[in-house]
Amino acid sequence: MKLWSSYLKEMTIAGRGFYFYIEIFIALVMLIVLLVVVNENPVSKEEEIVYYDMTPFMFKVMTNKEISDGQLRMGNEKSFTLKPGDFKVINDKSGEKEHYTFDEEKVIDVKTLETLDAKTGDLIKRAYVADNREDMIRLAHQEKSRGAVIRMKEGEFAYQYYLQGYETDRLVNLLYLMHNDKSAILQTQMNRQDVRELETHKTLNARENVIPLFITFAGSLMGFFIVMAYIFLDKGEGVIRAFAVTPSSVGVYLLSKTGVILTTVLISSTLITLPVMGFKPNYPLFYLFLIITTFAFAELGLLVASFYDAFEKAFGALYLVMVILMVPAFSYIIPGFDPVFLRFFPTYPVLQGFKDILLNANDMSYVLSYSLVFLGGGLLLFWGAQRRLSRTLCSG
Amino acid sequence: MISVQNLYHSYTKDQQYAVKDISFDVQKGEIFGFLGPSGAGKSTTQGILTGLLPLQKGKVVVAGYDLEKVDNKRFNKIGVSFEQSNVYGKLTARENLQFYAKLFDGPTRDPDELLKLVGLSGKEKDKAGTFSKGMKHRLTFARSMINNPELWFLDEPTTGLDPAIAANIKDIIKEQTSRGVTSFLTTHNMFIAEELCDRVAFIIDGEIKLIDTPKNLKLRYGKKLVEIEYIKEGKVEKEVLKTIDEADKKRIAEITRQYQISTMHTKEATLEEIFIQVTGRGLV
Repeated sequence: MKLWSSYLKEMTIAGRGFYFYIEIFIALVMLIVLLVVVNENPVSKEEEIVYYDMTPFMFKVMTNKEISDGQLRMGNEKSFTLKPGDFKVINDKSGEKEHYTFDEEKVIDVKTLETLDAKTGDLIKRAYVADNREDMIRLAHQEKSRGAVIRMKEGEFAYQYYLQGYETDRLVNLLYLMHNDKSAILQTQMNRQDVRELETHKTLNARENVIPLFITFAGSLMGFFIVMAYIFLDKGEGVIRAFAVTPSSVGVYLLSKTGVILTTVLISSTLITLPVMGFKPNYPLFYLFLIITTFAFAELGLLVASFYDAFEKAFGALYLVMVILMVPAFSYIIPGFDPVFLRFFPTYPVLQGFKDILLNANDMSYVLSYSLVFLGGGLLLFWGAQRRLSRTLCSG
Repeated sequence: MISVQNLYHSYTKDQQYAVKDISFDVQKGEIFGFLGPSGAGKSTTQGILTGLLPLQKGKVVVAGYDLEKVDNKRFNKIGVSFEQSNVYGKLTARENLQFYAKLFDGPTRDPDELLKLVGLSGKEKDKAGTFSKGMKHRLTFARSMINNPELWFLDEPTTGLDPAIAANIKDIIKEQTSRGVTSFLTTHNMFIAEELCDRVAFIIDGEIKLIDTPKNLKLRYGKKLVEIEYIKEGKVEKEVLKTIDEADKKRIAEITRQYQISTMHTKEATLEEIFIQVTGRGLV
């Protein structure tokens, strides 16, 4: 009863303050960004500058075939302003250097050829067709794009690439192989290869992939930060002293604060997740994991708050903890960056756990085992925070 | 109602005591004044008695509860009115009292009745954050009565209030005392102490210098004086004379016989004067 009335009081105060609305507002902004700005499946588009060193008839023959196959289409003409400049081009084999100097600005109009994905029909490459080699080199240099000269040599197409210089050896080798006139040999080799694919893993699309990040940081970072803010607001108003001379326990006081954080996080997380994910995730597990992890991080906030008597004095610790909580986001955003030490950061398993839940993965043992870890940790932090705050709540 | 024996407290947890070896008892139904200047140890003592500060050394029993054993149930019998107002600014006056009422186990008083008692009638729905300092103080004072306390801690209950409201607060304290409520009044205002307290303790530098009733203190330390204003050769003259001194007695008789008296007042020593006399220190 005391906990319930304390919780209702805290919710009334939160509803009349601005911290509560900050998180709801952030959730709404995030939702709008996800729905409006983030594509579900963004396709990375490649751009190259091409000069066809051949007769217009040959160019037509070459492109018409691909256009009729549905793999190519003519795009709109585009205008480029070539700026004056000075650069060198090095021959990859001979090492010979060609020096280019352009003193005048030049405006060129180029045709556009768009290559489409054979399966989906999505645009995957855009080629700007320059009228001469010099314009192609100049434009490739200016746009930092790959350049190519395509010409007829002994009845076959021959390719000359102009790269930026920072491409990997693997890409350069691939370009050598790609237009190999002995492609028949390659085909034979390919037929000999036995390629088998692993069962396709469920993946989140680009929009859905942002949700674990938001939910984790709404629950952990905001929970940690806002619960500290609430404690220091109460210390500032002196109401803790009045609470301390009632038969109610410090535990009730702390749990009522945690309750407000949980309510806020549940609302903001639902606001984001439901419109984007629909009913796809395992919601009972989603809310269980959300409540447990938010509880644990809120208790961490209470424990840190117990060491300080004013918000400004707690800034150093606050900043440090928030940075620690944020670091695993790098691993989440950049899958190639996954050092082992990051797995010991508390938000790392939270991010992975939410990802599993949103994917509705078959094996939820990871989520359930970490739920137990966070529940145990949260209770331990609560016990510590309660002990410390019982002694220090009225100071300052 | 309160028993304190050999109480010590050090904020630095060493031999620098804010309160050292103080002992006193407060009987049920009395108003006990704890008087002293700032930094004398009043708030430290009250902090320990109300549980806001931990008991370090000594034996303290409050409302029948030994403070060595932590039992929050004792707060059902205790009310605390803080010197610094501490109410939820975002809650209305009524909501503030309603919330605190729910934290107690026994019957509580009607919030509206309490607000009326302290002159905040009509302000029930106003947020406490919009209140003046005096209004917040009255709300804090009203909250301390929400649980019908048997033991009431009052820390500077009239500080910062205008005289009319201060008089109202004093009347409420007297009324509560008539109901059998015990009050522990902490103040540096000797006038309110003199008016309300059954007994007072003078505390300075963490030590109690004396405990007695105001009446006894005046008898022991006070000097009966008469202040006379009279007209002599067209001018107003003033003399202060002791009523217990033979020479002064003769002088009083002489003045009243020879001159026209403008005003004549008996003048008792105040508690403040006695405090200075006993401790050698002022109250600021």
